[in-house]
Amino acid sequence: MRILGCLDGTNAEQISRAVQMFSAIEPLAIALLTVIDVGPRRDIDRMRERFGRPPMHHQPLTEEMMAAEDAAAQETLNAGLLYVKDAETMLRQGRPELEIVNAAAEWRADVILICARTEYGEPPHIGPRSVGDVARFVLDHAPCLVLLVRPLAREQFPIER
Amino acid sequence: MFLFFQLPEFWRTLLTSLIGLLTLVGIMTRPWRWNESRIALTGAAVLLLLGLIRPADAARTLLRDWNTFLFFLGMMGLSAMAEAAGLFDWLAVQAARFARRSAARLFLNVFLLGTVITMIFSNDATALILTPVVYVLVTRLRLPVLPYMFACTFIADTASFLLPISNPINIIVLSRFPLDLFSFLRLLLLPSLVVIAINFAIFYLLYRSQLKGVTFHPDRLPTVERAVKHKAYFRYTLWVLAIVAPSYVIASAFLFPLSTVAVAGALLLLAGALFWKRTTLAEAAKGISWPIFGFIAGMFIVVRAIEDTGLTMKLGKLLLHLSGGTKFGAVMVGTFGAALGTNLINNVPMAVVLNSSLGSIQSAAPAIRNGFVAATIFGCDLGPNLTTVGSLATILWLLILRQRDVDVSGLDYFKVGVLVTPIMLFAGALTIWLLL
Repeated sequence: MRILGCLDGTNAEQISRAVQMFSAIEPLAIALLTVIDVGPRRDIDRMRERFGRPPMHHQPLTEEMMAAEDAAAQETLNAGLLYVKDAETMLRQGRPELEIVNAAAEWRADVILICARTEYGEPPHIGPRSVGDVARFVLDHAPCLVLLVRPLAREQFPIER
Repeated sequence: MFLFFQLPEFWRTLLTSLIGLLTLVGIMTRPWRWNESRIALTGAAVLLLLGLIRPADAARTLLRDWNTFLFFLGMMGLSAMAEAAGLFDWLAVQAARFARRSAARLFLNVFLLGTVITMIFSNDATALILTPVVYVLVTRLRLPVLPYMFACTFIADTASFLLPISNPINIIVLSRFPLDLFSFLRLLLLPSLVVIAINFAIFYLLYRSQLKGVTFHPDRLPTVERAVKHKAYFRYTLWVLAIVAPSYVIASAFLFPLSTVAVAGALLLLAGALFWKRTTLAEAAKGISWPIFGFIAGMFIVVRAIEDTGLTMKLGKLLLHLSGGTKFGAVMVGTFGAALGTNLINNVPMAVVLNSSLGSIQSAAPAIRNGFVAATIFGCDLGPNLTTVGSLATILWLLILRQRDVDVSGLDYFKVGVLVTPIMLFAGALTIWLLL
């Protein structure tokens, strides 16, 4: 079975726990994927266009932005490797939702492991809008099974009938 | 060519209006991927070639607005030279230090930093220089990028009517309707503070789940040495800015052309940068967006030609009529009219059109006239926050892409802009009205 785990910089532990659920299955191939989101850079270019400036190519600041993105992505993958030692790693650039489904198709993944949304601060909640744009897109467009990974939320039950 | 034979007034008006309209539609839709500058200059060239505006009138219009052109030059030069000194990187690092590991405090500091930079360097510097600097900083700190990006891009417009120099649009409007610093601050300082507070409060509510309780490790912060590439030039930059900032205030108070202060400051910084070999003349020239001058010149000529037909005067009278001749009406019509227009045709052409139209309200009561002027500045400055990363035409295009299942982050700006901008416009306009 080929499992593709999607890392977002905050979910290495959650994805690794989900991977462990498949550990009894042999043979098991695991890949950890992280995507450098190019959205912010495109937004900055659009902003520059509004102010009558050319896109931010070949500027020292662009190089700094790319170096910071690369370092963050590399750290995300390394954090994943601490939990899933033998995993293959993939680093892509683009819109995360598109890169995830395309990577899954190219790598011939059987299952995509993805968290409902990136969680920075408050504990995740269940209910409306608990699934983010990226996970929602992957659920809609994945070429294989998708396992939506979310922390246990039993304390938020029962839901009022 | 119509200079050589008489064209009936009706046809002159129709032809001028048609060319003016096509120019504005061109700026909105950008056919053949032409930039605004090319479109505005083409409109102006067609008007000149057809004799619908006399070359002498066109030249007089451009010469009359020398302060605007020079201000754009000085403003861009100051920002570019300060960027070369590493000032913005250094300020961003300081903002993170003062946040003492807290993502929420850093969010507040980014708002405050954006406000100060906009106030002194204009909105251009915050949107174009501070935004990528903050992006690099929060990426290094492993913090969520979006809230900070939104903070920078929105505060660039929200804080751009704190001082006359905070937005070049203010200079365009004030060149025709001069307001001394006291009158400017009396009408726009409090509304500025109100909308900045609203902007911060709504954004904090929207992004609290990504900020509250989140911390960053200070070891990830770049060192001051990394931000400041050349200490002597950096110190020199701080000294020059310490002279330029109060000079702006004094010049505003005495209605002295602000462009002279901006250009003098930029030249001083350029001299320092050349002395310490931080830049070359060619590199410094790259920091200036030259097509902007063509865009403004083209728009000034096109709008002047339309003005000669009396159409902008009719628009001014219509605005006055819609206001019902009351202060409240003047502020609301001015604010929402300007804000809508800036999202349709960009804020520079809108400010030029409104400037010309407001010529017809000179006979109105001073309070109503001031209400329209303050509302024009306010609406043209804050209005672009509705579509932040572009005009309504861009947003429509992004919506079409979204229908094709392509996730487009530009739409996120629109969603936030639609939520926060009308509230800020209304609250700010109400405050201006109370201050009239």
